[in-house]
Amino acid sequence: METKSTSSFTNLVDQSVCPGDVVLDLSKMINQTIKLGGGLRQDCDAISVMKAGRLRFSKPHKYWVENSQKRYVPYAEDSVLGIVVDSRSDNFLVDIKGPTLAFLPVLAFEGGTRRNIPRFEIGTLIYVRVIKANPGMNPELSCTDASGKAAEFGALKDGYMFECTTGQSRMLLSSPTCPVLDALGKKLSFEIAVGLNGRVWVDAASPHTTIVVANAIMNSETLSGAQQRIMVEKLLQRIQ
Amino acid sequence: MAGKGGATPATYSPSPTTNRKKKPPIFKEDWVRPDGRGFHQCRPAFFRTGAVNAASGSAYAEFGNTKVIVSVFGPRESKKAMMYSDIGRLNCNVSFTTFATPIRGQGSDHKEYCAMLHKALEGAIILETFPKTTVDVFALVLESSGSDLPVVISCASLALADAGIMMYDIVASVSVSCFNKNLVIDPILEEEIGQDGSLMITCMPSRYEITQLTVTGEWSTTKINEGMQLCLDACAKLAKIMRSCLKEVASDSQE
Repeated sequence: METKSTSSFTNLVDQSVCPGDVVLDLSKMINQTIKLGGGLRQDCDAISVMKAGRLRFSKPHKYWVENSQKRYVPYAEDSVLGIVVDSRSDNFLVDIKGPTLAFLPVLAFEGGTRRNIPRFEIGTLIYVRVIKANPGMNPELSCTDASGKAAEFGALKDGYMFECTTGQSRMLLSSPTCPVLDALGKKLSFEIAVGLNGRVWVDAASPHTTIVVANAIMNSETLSGAQQRIMVEKLLQRIQ
Repeated sequence: MAGKGGATPATYSPSPTTNRKKKPPIFKEDWVRPDGRGFHQCRPAFFRTGAVNAASGSAYAEFGNTKVIVSVFGPRESKKAMMYSDIGRLNCNVSFTTFATPIRGQGSDHKEYCAMLHKALEGAIILETFPKTTVDVFALVLESSGSDLPVVISCASLALADAGIMMYDIVASVSVSCFNKNLVIDPILEEEIGQDGSLMITCMPSRYEITQLTVTGEWSTTKINEGMQLCLDACAKLAKIMRSCLKEVASDSQE
């Protein structure tokens, strides 16, 4: 009975699922532990899907639904690109494409004290880390990594920012390196920052290169790895 | 204050000849539906998600000549944020284009449609997943050709799923019209004009739950049972089409 129930779950792994789909019957499982991630819920003796996407599995026993959407739901430890929309005495209000504006405390910087409060103009693009994302509360951000160092976080000057889906931003951050970035990186030199909230910042020596990189990334969303490489080659042939 | 003597009093009763609905000669032996369908046959349904770029999620639905587009925005910070709410709010709006109906220039907001759409979707959305925020659903009927509300509800459900809003299940909706002793599923505009009664069911097929049931006109118990069964069967089939549309999109975007 156990093998049958787990295999029914395994059959759906990497398959498309919709709200209401029952992916597992718990009544047939004995002494097994499973962890449910986003998009799944326990409904009595069944595990059902809450959002459309693909069922994913990570060893030993974690399941979740991965989907691509335009809106972003903040989670702790996500690195995101935010836009400063207002500054208060204690914190900055930052738009991270979430349901509500996020707070960035003025002391959440490397060596942050009352004396050296950073000054961000409204509209400044910043690379930040989500440290608190509780339901019913505005998310809290930080410009330091877990050890308190600035690392790659902070204001992003110059460059060009565009928006994509959350699924594509995850693809760009995946390892091994995403084929489109791999192919572009071999021929062009540029700097890129990808936020899990579906914002991408690109900076290069010339605006020409910046536009090529941005267009290649935007076009790559629905393409397979091989198609992405072909697309980049064609783009580079055209501009040379 | 009474009228002048001898003057006929003004009445509000409609003239029996001018305001009577002209019923088509329905259900004679050789009667066929205006579009050639069987009595228990639905119109061909077509769905597509991602129709509106600016929205968080959107869907386009076409049932015969009835065409609807629905956009979902949010969850975004509620304008009533001062009043803390530990569950999200759902805001629905249904409007018709000026060219939607045969009589041009009658496009408007339908208050009762908005309320019914809200009631139909509210039970399917897990509102606890977005506290303090609002999800806005805007439905626009591009062409009205009968059974508009069921199409709007089904399309809105698909748009919500496309937006990544947490839902218990997909919502499918179908209506049935009653003519004398006969039932006609998914009626068109001409049939709706001459119907004796209508029944609309909105349900979550996977969970066997009904989120809304609307009945108008006179129905016998047996007819109601028959009509409900007819609607539920159609909803289950419609949900399959909606699921295949969503799965197609998911597999395309994550290949």
